[in-house]
Amino acid sequence: MSATPGEANPVRAFVAQLWGSVFRHGLPTNDKVAARTALTNFFLHIHPVRVKKSAVRVSYTLCLGGLSFFLFILLTITGLFLMFYYIPSVDSAYQNVKDLQFVAVFGDIIRNMHRWAAHAMVITVWLHMARVFYQGAYKPPREFNWVIGTFLLLITLLLSFSGYLLPWDQLAIWAITVGTNMAKYAPIVGPYTRYLLLGGDQVAQGALIRFYVLHVIALPLIGFLLMVVHFWRVRKDGFTGGL
Amino acid sequence: MATVVEGGRDQRGSVTPRPQAPISGPELANTPLVIRRREDEETVVTFPYLVWREFLAGLAAFVFLMLVSIQVNAPLLQKANVSITPNPAKAPWYFVGLQELLERFPPIMAGVAFPSFVIIFMILTPYLDRNPSRRPQDRRVAIVLFTVFVCLSVAFVVIGEFFRGEAFNWDWTLILGHPGLSSPV
Ligand code: HEM
Repeated sequence: MSATPGEANPVRAFVAQLWGSVFRHGLPTNDKVAARTALTNFFLHIHPVRVKKSAVRVSYTLCLGGLSFFLFILLTITGLFLMFYYIPSVDSAYQNVKDLQFVAVFGDIIRNMHRWAAHAMVITVWLHMARVFYQGAYKPPREFNWVIGTFLLLITLLLSFSGYLLPWDQLAIWAITVGTNMAKYAPIVGPYTRYLLLGGDQVAQGALIRFYVLHVIALPLIGFLLMVVHFWRVRKDGFTGGL
Repeated sequence: MATVVEGGRDQRGSVTPRPQAPISGPELANTPLVIRRREDEETVVTFPYLVWREFLAGLAAFVFLMLVSIQVNAPLLQKANVSITPNPAKAPWYFVGLQELLERFPPIMAGVAFPSFVIIFMILTPYLDRNPSRRPQDRRVAIVLFTVFVCLSVAFVVIGEFFRGEAFNWDWTLILGHPGLSSPV
């Protein structure tokens, strides 16, 4: 499907030009074309052109880092749909979520998916960390990528935790009440941290808007940036490879 | 499992370097361990080879989540009400381990010291572990320590989630059911 200059049929010539303007190279019919496609495509650029065979065996990464990233993308997309309905106010939030669950077309599936994918991501990130540890993949030169990973784990937990409050049901406020009460125990800064987090003494409107902003803007943005650096370093440091 | 291979040719026909002459004794101890499988020497094009696999993995994950989401509804209880405290009030499952710690240790330990210790220790892990080898046989201590950490984390979450009833007291009935009733309540 490459642009053929001598194409007589004007329609086919136009289609060829259209295709050629979007994709610089044809379908990967051989390694050479495949390599060029990978090199010139922005999205494929996250990968090196060639990788060691041992690095792509499923038994090596168990797909866990990739799955965590996939879940992050899925959460971003489903979260976007939820945002069309959800208003972060104590007066409406609960009803919005109820409407999503019972009224909006496919609203229940989107909400369920967002919820279960979030739980799944906490699990896959944990397992990813465990596989990196057991394979000693944090050893030089990858020390710092492990450090970035630690922050990614924290961000993942905070993302999940901040989202927990948003449905504004009994499960939500009491889980957050219990969770933020833990912050109280830090000497001196504890009560202040809790107040800062909740925007007050109780889990109320102040807490809802703070958790909302953290959940939909601040934490995803920080998480995304950390992921970009994480992936960049995975590429630059190379895969650890077989044991 | 791992064998030293002679230099080979990859698909493009370029020659990969041959391993050095065999070394032994003190020299070996000081040499970073590089044992290669033949697979390590061979490369494949990421596109479409790897990208295709990623696509399949993503698709599988998506289909799985879709099926779960069609079958199982996310929880939604009564509207939030500060005057009605559910009993027990539990943190989300991934923090319930911390809640369990708080039940057993003074707050300053469970709520502050332990978590800070874990986070700091995690960040420092690659700098504290000076052992250059990645082979499981050579890093027994690291593996045992980490496994203990994982087991404790999982155990505390499981206890907090499934063995703590009213007022966060120990409660067998969550999983065993009430004596005299046929199914767990
Ligand atoms: C949002 C969370 C995370 C995402 C999306 C993510 C993603 C990835 C991906 C895609 C890879 C490539 C290999 C693979 O798929 O396993 C990778 C490698 C790696 N990750 Fe993560 N990761 C996350 C969290 C973490 C955490 C919590 C740690 C450790 C504390 C960590 C440490 C590492 C290290 C050291 C590597 C290099 C491993 C190697 O070269 O074998 N990452 N990560």
